Amino acid sequence: MSTPKRIVNALAMPVVTLVVLQTLCLLNGQSVISNMKSFDNFIVYTAIVMITTMALSINLNSGRFDFSLGSMAGLSCIIGAKITYGILSGGNGSAPLMLCISLVAGVILGLISGLTYCTLRLPPIIVSLGVTLVYEGIMYTITGGKYVMSEVQNPSMSGLTGTWVYAALIIAAVLAFMIITFDKTAFGYDYNALKSGQKVAVATGINEVKNTLICYGISGGLMGIVGTLNAARNTTINGGQLNFGSIAIMFTAFLPMFIAGYIGRFTNEKIGFLLAAVCMSLLNSTFAVFSNSVNATMQSIINAVLLVVFLIYLNNNDLIKRLLKA
Amino acid sequence: MTDKRKTNIKQKLISLLPIAALLVLFAVFLVVVSINGYRLDMYLKIVFNEALVLAVVATGAIFIYTLGTFDISLGASTLFAATMGVMTYNKTQSLILMIVAIFAVGITASLLNSVLASVFHIPPFVTTVAMMSVLSALSAQIITSYGGALGGISIPSEVVKPFDNIGFKAMLLIAFFAICFFVFQFTKAGRRMKFVGGNPICAELTGIKASKYTILAFVMAGIGIGLGAFLTLCYTPSVTTTTASSIGMNIFIAIVFGGMPISGGARSKIYAALIGGFSYILLNDILEIVIDSSAAYGITQVISAVFFLAVVYVTSMNYRTALLPR
Amino acid sequence: MNKKLTKVIGLIMAGAMTVMAGCGNSAPAAQGSADNAASAQGAETTTQPSGKTKKIGVLVADVSGEEALGFRNYYEKYIQENYDVTFDYTDALASAEDEKAAIEKFASKGYDAVISLSSSDRAQQIETCEQYGLYYAIASGVLDDEQYEKYKGYEHFVCQIGPSNATEFEAGKAMGEYFKNQGVKKVALYGAFIPNPMHVFRAAGILTGLGCTYGGANDMEAIVGQIFQDQGIDLSKVSGDVELVAYLQGYGDTTTDELGAAIQKAPEAFLSVGMATTFFAQTLSQENIPFADIDSFTAMNSQSMESGSLKYLAGKYSSSIGPVFALVSNAIDGNLIRNDEGNAVSLNQGYLVATDKATFDEYFVNDNGDSPIYSKETLDSIIGSQVTYQDVKSLVESK
Repeated sequence: MSTPKRIVNALAMPVVTLVVLQTLCLLNGQSVISNMKSFDNFIVYTAIVMITTMALSINLNSGRFDFSLGSMAGLSCIIGAKITYGILSGGNGSAPLMLCISLVAGVILGLISGLTYCTLRLPPIIVSLGVTLVYEGIMYTITGGKYVMSEVQNPSMSGLTGTWVYAALIIAAVLAFMIITFDKTAFGYDYNALKSGQKVAVATGINEVKNTLICYGISGGLMGIVGTLNAARNTTINGGQLNFGSIAIMFTAFLPMFIAGYIGRFTNEKIGFLLAAVCMSLLNSTFAVFSNSVNATMQSIINAVLLVVFLIYLNNNDLIKRLLKA
Repeated sequence: MTDKRKTNIKQKLISLLPIAALLVLFAVFLVVVSINGYRLDMYLKIVFNEALVLAVVATGAIFIYTLGTFDISLGASTLFAATMGVMTYNKTQSLILMIVAIFAVGITASLLNSVLASVFHIPPFVTTVAMMSVLSALSAQIITSYGGALGGISIPSEVVKPFDNIGFKAMLLIAFFAICFFVFQFTKAGRRMKFVGGNPICAELTGIKASKYTILAFVMAGIGIGLGAFLTLCYTPSVTTTTASSIGMNIFIAIVFGGMPISGGARSKIYAALIGGFSYILLNDILEIVIDSSAAYGITQVISAVFFLAVVYVTSMNYRTALLPR
Repeated sequence: MNKKLTKVIGLIMAGAMTVMAGCGNSAPAAQGSADNAASAQGAETTTQPSGKTKKIGVLVADVSGEEALGFRNYYEKYIQENYDVTFDYTDALASAEDEKAAIEKFASKGYDAVISLSSSDRAQQIETCEQYGLYYAIASGVLDDEQYEKYKGYEHFVCQIGPSNATEFEAGKAMGEYFKNQGVKKVALYGAFIPNPMHVFRAAGILTGLGCTYGGANDMEAIVGQIFQDQGIDLSKVSGDVELVAYLQGYGDTTTDELGAAIQKAPEAFLSVGMATTFFAQTLSQENIPFADIDSFTAMNSQSMESGSLKYLAGKYSSSIGPVFALVSNAIDGNLIRNDEGNAVSLNQGYLVATDKATFDEYFVNDNGDSPIYSKETLDSIIGSQVTYQDVKSLVESK
């Protein structure tokens, strides 16, 4: 496929999404993104979806299902918020410091999760169930089950998501990091080899445990960023998520992950994550526009139907083409 | 004694560990309840009621897990079946029609998952994620619309009171378990499901249609959902948006706790859900009694999760692989 | 081998189930003769030997909210220290099944009574307590009229003291009227977790207080019915002198956008039926939009009223659940107080309103620490064998 054709194919999905949703909005006298504030929110949400989807896919692409993403995001940003507040008391520089601490805490939590998996050698889905319960329990114990509010309510934190600039910088940094790490380093080559053929890759001498630990570490770090962005955006962190209350965040990443997989046929998969996140963020902005007529129940149903319809298309592409030709 | 024989004995002992864990937990439970001077007869009844619906729905779900996939929508399906049961009773005042509706909805919801998965070649897990959202949303819409100021919908408690006794419930559990046991152990369908789960390619090459057994597995799970929904209504004749909310993820825990590998196949065990369900509830009740739960919900969950991982680690020794499991 | 093992385990499990069923059957309450069991149990629990520590179980759905924590502190730190009683709080109860299991656990632990702050299925709670002979009281919200009529004669149903649905409506109405009287012309409304009944009644009240009609209706029942049907508030059905420029509810991925859109419409006030002080205090204060909420008198809200833009707060004080304890305590000691018709006591508690820092602190500071509004001295006036319904009613109505 030629490069221009690849670019057109890669951009087709977000462009079609924008056109369809904008038309819907225009028919009702509105716009998907009506002002600068809504644009800020759009970019912030794009960053959250893109990073969550990347964190999910790092392990899922290798057949490792991880339910603990939400609990890692929650616990890492609670740690970040508490330490930051202890140092700066909500003063200047709180947001960048919290972002850094949450990132480090996320990496550590991810490594613990990965280490548990590699040590116990149980299926990753089972380990992630246990790890989720442990992290939720710790989160609850630290916060007493309460919302964390005063630690994240300060001008620095509201500034983080108050403009699109920081979110855009984070998107660029994460994207660059992911492309370099997974496409240009020895770790990345090993990762791809293990992803495609675990047995052969291990037989050729690739250190699977080391590679896996790095994957979990990166995934945890990414969720630390997501946790901080969510904390800044929501101005609270819910510390009372017990009994798998934290896993919902993972389900929001399924549709963009499949969309990214599709776009990834035409371009770098990581760019696919960004474009898929743009699609999801456009949909979210449209839901916000129609929030008075499309309630949360309807939004859930629409998201679920889109997921199924897209997968039906993706998995029956040839059949659909044959039917259309006939 | 030859090495092979030694290994066999070791494997036999390990496979008995889940039931040993159940017996140990049961013994500890008896001691803890007695030491605290609580009424053992009543506490046993409570444990039975708490574990019953989980064990029933999870036993049905074993068929799905045997195929090497899993269903995350079981809690939502149980909620939806119970909701439709209550709606049917309130429209018709007929207990028989209510029971028919509950089972019909349970089986249909489950079948829809399998049809989407089999006909459209979508990974069953993804269809169940979508189904979870749709069924929860639909149930919430119905419950809040018709429940109004009461916050839930209900049938008169006299209707199900005759069924809310341990003898009847135990009889239902044993009958359902016996049917599942028979299908799983003594029919061609049961054996083929294990074959498909263990090695889908080989199974296909020998002429076994995986889609047929996927549908059958989901039907069995649907019967479990229907029975679970009926038993839920027997216990509390009202349905709120959170009814059966704890079942969904606990099914994972129950099945794995019972000694079944999450990958399904030949090592699948029909009794795993029953053992695991009761073990998990006993464990939680023991911790609740021993630790002052009102001060340490988080700590209780952490201990429970660590114990879960430890038990699964030991019980999975029979199928440990050199490569990291996926 | 596997087959044999499966058979053996199947048989063991079936046996175990039968044993459990047998054990369960030995519990008197597990049988059909629930009434007999209740009497038997009731006899055990109601005749409390003098000087024995009373044991009360508390059903809670919310373990982390400011109001819930305030209630808990009052019972565990004040009442427990001043009276011979222990409170046992449940974990966050998610469903009606959880509530029933929790009551059964209290019964098996030999508790005397249950106080409910959880409302998944109140009818089931009353029936279960009656079955096991546990005294039962509602400390948050009340039953709807039909349910109260059905259960008011139950032997172990002691009382319900809290804001009724009508009171929730009135609380919303007072908020709406306050801002209308301030001359506000454009408002945004947050419906929190509509269709939660409490939030529906408050929202209906706010619309009425603002002088608006909803779908042409201006009475409580009609507006509430429509909101339940619509699962929220449809802006196109609102009309009146005060313009409702934006409406949002729930809390999810779109909330930030919705709040942003609401702020863009420049409302002169942001009215909320609950939770705004948790979710939006910072943003609304930064944008300098006056806001109102129905919540509780907490340190965080005190700060919002002092340095933020919180202008109106209707709330309960933590010790408002004191009279419920008094009535339950009396019942355990043998003085089961009934109302004038001989039924379970049902008293309404209104909300206190603060529109300035001084009033806020009056409720907040006065209800904290060692001197709550319902102090030991006050409660002692309604605890005892000679206390009557009129004594309790007078005290509750005076606060």
